[in-house]
Amino acid sequence: MFDYGAIYPEIILILFAVAIPALHLLLKSSRALAGISLVGVAASAGMVVYYLLNGYPGMIGSENSPLIVFDALAAVFSLVFLSVAFVAILASARYVENDRHLAEYFTLILMATAGMMLVASAQDLLTIYIGIEIASMATYALVAFRKRDKRGSEAAVKYVIIGGLSSALSLYGISLLFGVTGTTSLVGINEALAAQGIDLATILSVGLLIAGFGFKIAIAPFHMWAPDVYEGAPTPVSAFLAAASKKMGLVVMFKVFIVGLIAIKADWDIVVGVVAILTMTIGNVIALSQTNIKRMLAYSSIAQAGYMLMALPLATVVGDFAITAGIFHIITHAFMKSGAFIVVAALAYVAIGESVADYKGLAKRAPFMAFSMAIFMFALAGIPPLSGFMSKVVLLSASVQAAEITQWMLWLGVALVLNSALSLYYYVRVIKYMYVEKGESTAKIKVPVSLTVAIAVCMVATIVLGLFFDPVLDLCSEAARTLFPAMA
Amino acid sequence: MFENIPILSLLILFPLLGAIAAFMLGRSPKAAKYVALVFSAIPLALVTLMLTEFSLSGGFQFVENYEWISFLGINFHLGIDGVSVTMVFLSTLLVFLAILFSWDVEERLNQYMGLMLLLEVGILGVFTALDYFVFYIFWEVVLIPMYFLIAIWGGMNRAYASIKFFIYTHVASLAMLLGIFALYFTTAPLLKADGLIPVDAIGTFDMQLIARVAGDGLGHMLQIAIFGALFFGFIVKMPVVPFHTWLPDAHVQAPTAGSVLLAGLLLKMGSYGIIRICLPTLPDAAVDFQLIMAVIGVVSIIYGAFACLAQSDLKKMVAYSSISHMGIVMLGIATLSQLGIAAAVFQMFAHGLITAVLFMVCGMFQHKAGTREIPLLGGLAPKVPILATVMMMGFMASLGLPGMVGFLAEFMVFTSTFDTWGVWVLVPIATVALTAAYYLWAMQRSIFGELTTKIDTKHMHDAYWFEILPLAVLLGFIVLFGVWPAFALDLITPSIPSVWPLNGVI
Repeated sequence: MFDYGAIYPEIILILFAVAIPALHLLLKSSRALAGISLVGVAASAGMVVYYLLNGYPGMIGSENSPLIVFDALAAVFSLVFLSVAFVAILASARYVENDRHLAEYFTLILMATAGMMLVASAQDLLTIYIGIEIASMATYALVAFRKRDKRGSEAAVKYVIIGGLSSALSLYGISLLFGVTGTTSLVGINEALAAQGIDLATILSVGLLIAGFGFKIAIAPFHMWAPDVYEGAPTPVSAFLAAASKKMGLVVMFKVFIVGLIAIKADWDIVVGVVAILTMTIGNVIALSQTNIKRMLAYSSIAQAGYMLMALPLATVVGDFAITAGIFHIITHAFMKSGAFIVVAALAYVAIGESVADYKGLAKRAPFMAFSMAIFMFALAGIPPLSGFMSKVVLLSASVQAAEITQWMLWLGVALVLNSALSLYYYVRVIKYMYVEKGESTAKIKVPVSLTVAIAVCMVATIVLGLFFDPVLDLCSEAARTLFPAMA
Repeated sequence: MFENIPILSLLILFPLLGAIAAFMLGRSPKAAKYVALVFSAIPLALVTLMLTEFSLSGGFQFVENYEWISFLGINFHLGIDGVSVTMVFLSTLLVFLAILFSWDVEERLNQYMGLMLLLEVGILGVFTALDYFVFYIFWEVVLIPMYFLIAIWGGMNRAYASIKFFIYTHVASLAMLLGIFALYFTTAPLLKADGLIPVDAIGTFDMQLIARVAGDGLGHMLQIAIFGALFFGFIVKMPVVPFHTWLPDAHVQAPTAGSVLLAGLLLKMGSYGIIRICLPTLPDAAVDFQLIMAVIGVVSIIYGAFACLAQSDLKKMVAYSSISHMGIVMLGIATLSQLGIAAAVFQMFAHGLITAVLFMVCGMFQHKAGTREIPLLGGLAPKVPILATVMMMGFMASLGLPGMVGFLAEFMVFTSTFDTWGVWVLVPIATVALTAAYYLWAMQRSIFGELTTKIDTKHMHDAYWFEILPLAVLLGFIVLFGVWPAFALDLITPSIPSVWPLNGVI
């Protein structure tokens, strides 16, 4: 079967991505180009929503070895990537205003998004790999976008080297798995492993896959690059990396481990569990001592990735409920984290520094910025009734449910709880600086409208997802069930 | 009269609307003051109206139940019985009076008023929720305005105190959340077996449904574990020794109205949680915890009293006295008897009224004399006669002078303690002497004796009208309920069954 419908959303994005540099010859204004990119994103999202409402298209590949299937999981993740791309583009319009290469900037964001969406619908290790590479290449260039900026260039070099290493590791893992099982299809791998059991080569390949994808998601101990890159990259790009690129790594983990390696779950569940706990703890502990907000947000992203990764070992016991929780946290995190980064970007645009101390007295100078940042911080810390609380609660409930059968899984929940408490300190510290401390200047700050709109979108999503998330949870649940064909 | 009106939702909605209005009135903070006063008066009026309609039969009344998140079985379920209505009345009263008492606040006035009202939203939600999830959300909502109240309007060391308060109580709430989830999942199969929830549901967070099956259906060790998690969450909030260390810091730094609400209401949330959730839902574990509760209670009573003796800051002394008095609440709960628990609730009510007076008095000292350090004060009675009178009445009420509400509550707790443990009651009773000592001593040194020369007393102004009015109302209630406790006890007692265990109460 070969139904192009399965990649229409990506095709739309790519068409716009190709058209934008050409249009740049006619239109010089960055606003116009940003507007066109937004139309592209919206069109692609419209296609996804159309599929959600009217049924999914056919697959690419065959029943036994599918390559690309646009299902509920792909739809949900596509919407996450597209939403993040939407706010990132909104936030970038003014940022790249005076850059000669502003058309390429938007092209790269659209290409990266298309790559991520391809990953979300891929069913075969090689398609997954291709998707990752499309997204990665584009994001390397995005990080290096300010090429005269030393910090930015350093970050880009680090990112390329680490990214290359990560690709190499995962490709090596994929080839070993292919050697062992004779296929690169996730379903096929699972069947082969169920039949022949586990040997050294399989263990090695699973280890390589965890390391390879681990670099992408920045889970401990493969996280060291993330703070440097997030700090050095243009802030809207940092938002894009933290809120979208990281999620791409997670959806790969979900797919590979649940669809491809569930037959040998007893051999990886505890490893992934330990990695998850390590990741959240290391992220939060290091975040405590950060004074640069972008670095703090980077470490907070690492910690949050640990929470999301929890879903994987839990899923070996409670199945789709755990993945539902993981996806829901991915969705809420996408909005609260990109929101927080864009506040930083907006303030940087009006020449406010990136150190926490620069935010002193912000509540008086820019009430909306301070208020929205406070909302994002509270949501990230998991204070009700905001979305970050609700998604952590669903994760926690999955862990308690899993603990009824496999007792050690309760430790995942306990780690989540303790880490939430720990993280409260550094999140609230930002609020303290904004609201409690008095700043040296009291001059009002005016932030460009496009940035304000982007922040408002994230803030509304953060609040609404905390109060009325029933339909979203249903959708997450539908998406999670696609990973468990036996239950569907 | 209230048949078709969602009165409890309205009760929570009005302060919320008031809070939003106050936050938006940044340009005319003065107006925010009046808005806050009106929007805190409405819930008080509503509760008073409800009390006229309140049936003394004991069950839950004014119940509302709306589906909220069906995926997880969360309902917006509210209802009140005699125990909660007492707390709800206290909450609306104290918030109204605290707003009045803050009439001269100038810094960021509109935000201050908005936060006070937001605090009321959280507190009322906690005292009316009948769904664990809703309960937990309101429980956490309370933290945020309190954090800001301390962090922005607090004393010198406010940054430290506010974040300590936030993290301490947040950690405790998270333990409680774990306990709630354990209940949620372990009762789900029981509820399905009894046909109380659909077979395809994950579970329910409904307190009443869970209480119906948890007591008999859950294993003993499991009950103990869940009880422990919930109990930990509640006693940190109360607080009792050894989890009390956040309290003195928070109180000393908080602005006066913040302290009033912190001591008057937030602490009650802890003991309310034990009475509403721990005892009826997990009665077997409660019996296992009985001795622990009693010991914690008595230790808190004694420790709090001794700590009071050592304080030179009037406000810190009152803060420690709260620990001692919440110990009495804990002791009452530990008896697991109708009298004891009713007495504990009555003591919560009494302490709410009395401690509000005490903190207001401390705030006035700070305001008028510029200090709360007892050694710097002295002989102020002739200078500020009203303040001195109020202080004397407040202290007398707090040390348990007969005829005032505190005496009756403590007396009832000690009676039921005697019922349960016999002459051991002498241990906590002996502390009453200590209580009398620290209060009398503090009074003697601050308002009697020779006029101090260490501070400038020439321009001291006695109480203003907006200070006298709340204090008069509070003292009126203190005497009223002291002379005629039946007003409150007739409400409270029917909601607590006369025979242990309590399961099925909620």
